[in-house]
This record gives sequence, structure tokens and C-alpha cells, in this order.
Amino acid sequence: MEESSRKRVAIDLDRLPIKRLNAIDEIGNEQFPPDVSNEDKRLGMLRRIDFSSIVADSIETRRNQKRTSKEAAPGPQQTWPWQGFVENLQLAHQELSVIIDLINTVEANDAVAVAGMQRPKQLPNEILSDLAVSAATKLQRLRNLGRYFKQSSKALEQRVSREARFYGSLIRLQQHWKVKRQRVSATSPGNEGFSFDLVDNTSSNTTILSHPLPNTLVHIVRETAGLLAIQRPQKSHQCISISYSASDFNSRNKKSLKRNIYKSDEILQANRKETLTDEDVNSWVKDTHSVLHEIHQSIFLQQVFDRVKHESYSPSPGIYVTGMREDFLQLAVGQDTSIYLSLVPFKKEDEFLDSMGHSQNTTNEHPHSDSSALVVINEKDMLNENNFGVPSPAGLEIYVMHIFHKNSVVRLKEKKISASRAAVAGQAAADSCGLSHFCKTIAHRIFSNKVLAEIERLVSRIPFVQLLSHPPWHSRTSSWSLSLKFPESVFHSACLSESSNNYDAKGLIRSQLHTKIVVKDDQVTVSGEGAPSTLCSFRISPNVSSVGSYGCDLDDLPLILLQQIAGRIIQWLHDEALIVGMKVRRDFLCLYFDLDQGDMLGLVARVDPDDVNGCISWWLIMEDALQDDGKFSTSTGEYKNRRFLGHLSLEALYFMLMDLVNVSTDNGFS
Amino acid sequence: MNKAAVGGGGGGGGPTAAAAVAAAQKQKTLLQRVDADVSNLVDNFSHLVNLARVNDPPVRNSQEAFQMEIRAARMVQAAESLRNLVSELKQTAIFSGFGSLNDNVDRQVAEFNRLEEGSERLLEKVGEQAAANLKELEAHYYSSVLRSSQGDDG
Repeated sequence: MEESSRKRVAIDLDRLPIKRLNAIDEIGNEQFPPDVSNEDKRLGMLRRIDFSSIVADSIETRRNQKRTSKEAAPGPQQTWPWQGFVENLQLAHQELSVIIDLINTVEANDAVAVAGMQRPKQLPNEILSDLAVSAATKLQRLRNLGRYFKQSSKALEQRVSREARFYGSLIRLQQHWKVKRQRVSATSPGNEGFSFDLVDNTSSNTTILSHPLPNTLVHIVRETAGLLAIQRPQKSHQCISISYSASDFNSRNKKSLKRNIYKSDEILQANRKETLTDEDVNSWVKDTHSVLHEIHQSIFLQQVFDRVKHESYSPSPGIYVTGMREDFLQLAVGQDTSIYLSLVPFKKEDEFLDSMGHSQNTTNEHPHSDSSALVVINEKDMLNENNFGVPSPAGLEIYVMHIFHKNSVVRLKEKKISASRAAVAGQAAADSCGLSHFCKTIAHRIFSNKVLAEIERLVSRIPFVQLLSHPPWHSRTSSWSLSLKFPESVFHSACLSESSNNYDAKGLIRSQLHTKIVVKDDQVTVSGEGAPSTLCSFRISPNVSSVGSYGCDLDDLPLILLQQIAGRIIQWLHDEALIVGMKVRRDFLCLYFDLDQGDMLGLVARVDPDDVNGCISWWLIMEDALQDDGKFSTSTGEYKNRRFLGHLSLEALYFMLMDLVNVSTDNGFS
Repeated sequence: MNKAAVGGGGGGGGPTAAAAVAAAQKQKTLLQRVDADVSNLVDNFSHLVNLARVNDPPVRNSQEAFQMEIRAARMVQAAESLRNLVSELKQTAIFSGFGSLNDNVDRQVAEFNRLEEGSERLLEKVGEQAAANLKELEAHYYSSVLRSSQGDDG
């Protein structure tokens, strides 16, 4: 087979690529063959390939194979049912091998090249199926896009609502607080650089404060739900507390608002519910506002304490510093009272948090620098004896804040009015409302309570004397008055009708006692009719009345008041005796009646502040005693011609006077 | 937008020329950003709609699918940019609305002054009432039977 194929292979040589002359005509023109294009050449070469021999050989080969198979298998005459299929496949294989060789030859571009190629035309069902697949694929893609858009829109809506909540809350809070923005690059989640600046420029003064307050910036935190929360700075919940006892620290109870406050190192809570109503947001904003107000108040209190310490550095009248620590100041007020000022953190309702947010024991028995309280300690334990001896700690706390706030307002106004006069006027204002004023006020309150106690003790023992309070509405001034209304006499109205108008006024005025006690700081001033001096005691004229004002000590006050009261009673009796026509003579606390035949009867008032039954007692002295020495004689303890009348009321004294009138009348006294 | 510009331009009570120019420039920039974002949204959406056509070659469909994803992402990006723009405008309104801030501060000051005066009057009234009550109580006490009996006993 191969030998026959080899024999049949003919060698065909291509013409040389030169132009051969076909003919020459008579004229001499040469006739060349026409130029053949490359494609024509290729086509010609393709046509020259003769596949018939190969095909014939293949057919012959098949026939021979059939014969051999028939001769080799003379057995059963049954043919394999797939034999024809196999033969067809073999023929197709041969044809394909020929084609593959041709393609390889074409690829090598050796003898032939591909002229053109066309895609076979698709059937309609194939077109429709492809279109359906494409449509389904596109539909799927579009649905994916739809889901993507839905997710994006939902996320955008959430972010928009969160931002609306955040910025809405921020704008609302901006109406009350100053908002600052800091350009921060790397921030913790939720921290966008916003903060509330709580520094009070009206009350702060860097020249006065010993150190700047670091906790005036409150950072704003945006929660995952868009709500506005704040980061509480350190030492932002402190107050000045006052207590009567060193072991009883009166920290203010504050309702904890934990949900609005984060500590500086706390992570944002991510479990907030997203579905928030307007009411929730409103309450949140209100709570935040309340917390900011508390922090601002705490800052103000720290400023107050700082200014108190600053003023304690400079010596001023009334300020006596006996102890000092970081947040602790001890002042001596008066002679036997001390005040402890300190900053105390707010005590929560459920737990007690310090500046670092750690829980601490709520009961503190011993003061220390971090949680001491402002206490008022009386070394003589007068608090146990007299509850009114020391002013109320809560009142003092409010007053110290009022003083320094007023001082800062005054300074601010002075600055606004004139910058040049600010220092002078501010200093003047500081003198009247500062730590010195505060200490003097406390001292005055303690002293005035003592004075009041003494006066009340006196008045309680003298029934016909009334104590009237006159609040002067000045923190370092107290005023009282003692009044005494004499009973109207029978002859009083008749005397009024006979005497002049001037005497009427004087008479009306004289019918009452007006003694005024004024306490300024620790100075007691008594003003009223009748000075307790011997000079006035020798005045004989009844029309002369002296209204004097003089200072005294607390120890001498009861005696002076009693002398004034007794002197005024004597004066009244003297006037009444004159009205009825008696001859009387007044000598300090004595009233002498001139009886017939030179006899003299004396009515003497004895004052004793320690007399429990009544501070003013009365004695009646006959002329014999007066002639002996002209004075009381108590050295022997025996009184001759003296009678103790006891603690008489004004009516009893008046009736006694009338009896004396009758006695003198009986004796022929006219 | 105009309010923001006016607010920004009105800062400082009497805007200078430079501030006015800056405010106008900022307004212009913001408007440009808005226009760009909105046109971006519209263009991408229109392209997205055009790409929704079903073509014959599956290769082209795959190519269009990628394009659709890109267009959708660009649309979302444009929306995000608009949201950021709104946030910036809100921040500008918060920190540059000096006119409204000043008005609010004045209103607050007036309100607090009124409260202060009211508190002062209330305190005075309380003081006067306390003094009157004290005087009345003293008068009642000294005219009471207790005090009178004490005087009789004394």
C-alpha cells in the first residue's frame, strides 16, 4: 500500500519565478503570460492537489479489509450491528485527518491560505434560547443592583436620620452653650472634634486664678444612634459642702444621668436602639442640658474655691488662715470657731463616683484632701448648747457663692465702664464682697446670736418689756429694739389738754420706751433715752431727755439695758407724780418723794441681770435710811426702814404711786 | 445655601470685602459640588437604564453587567457626597451663623436679666413678708395669754 502510494507520488516542480516568453510576433513585440495574483496562484495550487488517488486507495483498503475479515471469520454469518457505524466513523476519521493535515499546511502558510470564513447560520430556536439566557442574566444583574440600591438607600436614610438627630440636638444645645470645633484627624469613633466650652469669661480672671481650670471643655460624642452624648471631664462634679461636724460630710445628692455621660476612656455603646422617637430625643437633649448645667456649676464652684484660696493668700482684716491643703482651707472665725472649706464631689444616688469614675465608700469619717467637706467646728462645742449659735451651713454655702458671683459681676461691669478704673473699683468691690466680708459675716452672725440670746433672756424675765426685731437686710448688721408701754393714767388726758402741743408730742413719746440695740460686726451700740452716766442722773428738770448712743461689750449689755429700762420707769413715775402735784426728785434709779414735815420716801430700782424671778426689783426706803448715808447699805445685809417690794409690774407701780399720793394727801400734802 | 452664605458673610458684624468675596466663592463652590453630584446621579442613572438592554453576545452582556455595577456605585457615591455636603452646610450654620447666635445670646441675656430682676423682687418680697410676719408674731406673742400670765406671775 505504501509502496503503491510512493510510486504514485508525482513530483511536480513549480515554474521558476521568471517570466517566460510565450511568443514573439512579427513586429518584435514579446508576449508574456499575464501576471497571476497571489490568490490565483494559491487557488491554482489548491486545484493541483489531487485527492482522488488517496480516496481510491482508501476505498481499496476497505475492500481488502472486508475480504480478509470474511475469510478470517468463516464462523457465524451474523454481523455485528454496530459494524457499519464503526466503518463510517473510521471513514470520517480518515477524512478528518486529511482535513487536519490540510489545516496544518494552511497554518504553516506553506502551500495554501484561508480565503474566508463564515459563521454558520444559527437556527431560530438557538437564537431564542441565547436571547432568553441573556435576558435572564441581565434580569439577575438588575435584581442584584436593585438590592444594592435598597441597602444603600437604607444605610443613607439611617445616616441622614442620625445626623439630623445629632445636629438638631447640637443646634438646640448651642442656644445655651458655646460649641467649639477642633480639627482632629485621628479620633475615636463618634468623636468629631465638637466640644462645649463651659468657661465663664465673666467670672474668670487669669491674673486672679492660681491655675487654669482644665475641665472646661466637654467633648461631644456621637452615639451610634445619632444621639449627642458628652464625655465628662475629670473633677467635673464637685461642690462646696458645709457641715457642722467633721465626720458628717454633706455631699450633695445628684440624680445620676449615666446614659448621657461617658468617661474619657469609655467606648461608645453600640447597642442603642435605632428606633427613637422625638420624645426620646427631646428627653435626651434635656438630660444633656442638665448635665452640662451641673458641670458648669461645678466649674463655678471650683472657681469660687480658687478665688477664696487666692484671697486667703493676702492678709486682710477678718481673714485668719489656720490650715491649708490642695482642696482644703481652714479659717478661724471669731475667737473660738473654725471653718473648713473644701471641695466635695457630688454623691450619686446609687453610687459615689470620684473624678476617675471609680466607686468609693459613701461614708467618710475622716477628712482628706479629695473628699473633705466645708465644716464649721466650734471648739467649745457651743453647737450642742445652742443650735442658733452657728449659722446654717447651707446658707453659708449659698452666701459664699453669692458673694463671689456678685464680685465677678461687679468686676465685669467696672471693666465695661472704664478699663483704667477697673483695678481701683474692682479692689473696692472686692473689699466689700470677698472672703473678708464672708468671714466677718460669719463672725457677726455668731456674735449677734449671742447678743440676741442675752436680750431674749432679759426680756423673758421682764414681762412688760417687748423685744422687736428690725432686720436691716445687711449681712453684718443686726438691730433690735426694746419697747415699753406704760399704762395710761387718769390724769394723762387732762394734762394733754392743758399743755402745749410740743409737750403733747414729748409726752406721747415719753410714754413709751425706745431703746435700740444695733450690732455691727462685733460692735454693740445701744441708743435710747437716758444715758447710764452719773451726769444724767443729777438732772432735775423733767423736760430734759437725752437720747444717747454708746457702745458696750456683750458682758455689760444686760446691765446697761436694765438700767435704761429702770431709768425710764423711774422717769415715768416721776412724770406721773408731777402730774398729780407731788414733789418728787429723781436720782438715777431712785425716786424721792418729799413728804410733809421734811420726810422723804424713796423708791429705788435694783437691777440684776442674773435675777431669775425678774431682773428689776423695787425697794422702798424711808427717810431714816436716807439721812444716815444717803445711799443703800448692803454691806451688813440688814436694811433699816427699807422694804423690799419685789418685782412689780407697771400697773402695780402706778397704783403704789397713787397710794403715795393718798398718803401725802392725808398728811396734808398739797 | 443663600442663608449659609449670608450667615458666613455676615460674620463679624459688618463683612469686609474679602469676607464677602470668600463667602461668594464658597457659595459658588458648594453650588458646583451640588450640581456635579446631581448631574453625576442623573448621568449614571441614564447610563444604567441604557445598559439594561439585552444584547445578543453574552460577552457584551457580561461587560454591561460590570458597567452597571460601576454606574450604581457611582450613584451611591454621589448620594454620599450630597449627604456630606449637607453635613458641611449644617456645620457651617452652627459655627458661622453669628447673626442668629448673637440674637439668641441677646435674647438669653434679656431673659436672664428678667429672671434676675424677678428673683431680686421675689427676695425683697420674701424679706418684707418675713419681716412683717415676724413683727406680727412678736405682737401676738407679747399680747398673748402666755405672756400676760407670765406678767401676772411676775
